[in-house]
Amino acid sequence: GAWPRGAMEASELWVGFVGAGRMAGGLVRGLLQAGKVPASNVLASAPSNKNLDAWRELGCRTTHCNLEVVQRSTLVFLATKPHILPGVLEEIRPAVGAHHIVVSLVAGVTIQTLQRLLPPWTKVLRIMPNLPCVVQAGAMVFSRGSNAGDEEAALLQSLLSSCGLCEEVPESYIDIHTGLSGSGVAYVYLFAEALAEGAVKMGMPGALASRIAAQTLLGAAKMLLETGEHPAKLRGDVCTPGGTTIYALHQLEKGALRATVMDAVEAATNRACDMAKD
Amino acid sequence: RGFTAAGVLAAHKITASSPDTDLPTVSGLRKMGVNFTVSNKDTVKSSDVLFLAVKPPIIPFILEEVGPDIEARHIVVSCAAGVTISSIEKKLSTFCPTPKVIRCMTNTPVIVREGATVYATGTHADVEDGKLLEQLMASVGFCTEVEEDLIDAVTGLSGSGPAYAFTALDALADGGVKMGLPRRLAVRLGAQALLGAAKMLLESEQHPGQLKDNVCSPGGATIHALHFLESGGFRSLLINAVEASCIRTRELQHLADQEKISPAAIKKTLLDKVKLESPSLSVESASKVSLFTNKSKKN
Repeated sequence: GAWPRGAMEASELWVGFVGAGRMAGGLVRGLLQAGKVPASNVLASAPSNKNLDAWRELGCRTTHCNLEVVQRSTLVFLATKPHILPGVLEEIRPAVGAHHIVVSLVAGVTIQTLQRLLPPWTKVLRIMPNLPCVVQAGAMVFSRGSNAGDEEAALLQSLLSSCGLCEEVPESYIDIHTGLSGSGVAYVYLFAEALAEGAVKMGMPGALASRIAAQTLLGAAKMLLETGEHPAKLRGDVCTPGGTTIYALHQLEKGALRATVMDAVEAATNRACDMAKD
Repeated sequence: RGFTAAGVLAAHKITASSPDTDLPTVSGLRKMGVNFTVSNKDTVKSSDVLFLAVKPPIIPFILEEVGPDIEARHIVVSCAAGVTISSIEKKLSTFCPTPKVIRCMTNTPVIVREGATVYATGTHADVEDGKLLEQLMASVGFCTEVEEDLIDAVTGLSGSGPAYAFTALDALADGGVKMGLPRRLAVRLGAQALLGAAKMLLESEQHPGQLKDNVCSPGGATIHALHFLESGGFRSLLINAVEASCIRTRELQHLADQEKISPAAIKKTLLDKVKLESPSLSVESASKVSLFTNKSKKN
């Protein structure tokens, strides 16, 4: 039935997850870490116990029944694989009410599709997170459907800010976010690995090199975020004339790193668009 | 041309000398009212500030020639790429105990008073001497003092820079023509675009990266174009160019120090001939600069 408005308080919120995979796990870890929602208020469903064990360890409740999740939650996250979603939506449709807030994490499934497969009054939002939500350093963008209002957007923003950067965007940016940040995390891992390998080549032990590589990325990113300066300016600040850095950067430019990275973002974005069409 | 256009110097107060009177530049100078002579000595005698504007390998020979006429009042300004202050001071010190030497690197747009000039003062040049040169060169563009060891880098950047720009402009114009613009208009627009961008950068506090971003609307034409530039390694090409020019300047300096041009070639006083026989054709190492050394040396 309908919930009193007070129940929009996050701490009294009943949160459900349909699908309990990596991305959902990342989000819930972030929420729990930040103390936004008590674990006992979280209910997750999945076909097998494979993922659910980890959720129970966190203190969450689990089930194999998707319908149960919808019936016992106000805020419902959809986190299934894309090809499974239509079937799941059909299954849960009868239990979806006006009080529900349905947030889809499912890659490539548009708001239009979600609204088509759910009751017409449903408050739908679509979110694209990224993996570091797990460590509360995620980057997430979300868009609202026709029935989702400022309250729902504010709630989602407030909850998910606990997992990192969370911004509302037009839906057309979601695929771009995938290319930039969803997949982008992998580009960074690749870069970190290569940095460390360079160091190993020059004689540093691998484990140490890896830790330093990661810290370098973390530190640089932190400076970027905290100073708000243009990356080109920060780059210039590190380059003493005729010094080591400018020599290294020249190598990177010779390898057309910038263009390659742009190509990568473009490829992932286009792939996201194509997959959405399927 | 720049000085007279700027009005800092009247043409009749300028003397220029060259062995070859048929050069087009000679008649141009004469038309301007500059005093022209074939005698380097006359130029020295009638000047307080002496610009040495010969090719780098010739400098040592010129200094030998005019050395006896250099007096304490003279400020000798060398614009020769790669020729060090100490090499000039050494040559002149046999004639004058405390020669005032300033080394300067400028570029061709001084003609339109948008030059980029740096200078380094020698051992006996006073602060006022440097300031005098700075005043002169500032009338034709930007001028600042630097440490001598940076001059090669300046050569690579702003010395050669106009050539990079001309190349870019030619290509930009080609792009315009390809997409349907008449050539003249394409050249005009391309040049204005670069001029405007340079002006914005000089007048702005912002980093060029930021200025670039300001032009790139999301998903728009410019960012698409920039992606092509990046794919082609545009940035690294420019870095390579500056580096190559700087390194070449250092090589020329090294060659000049070797003084491999025969005095006989100089006496023929045809710069073309010197160019042909110049060791600049072979750059691998000093020992390979072979044209005038002992024939028994292996190359």
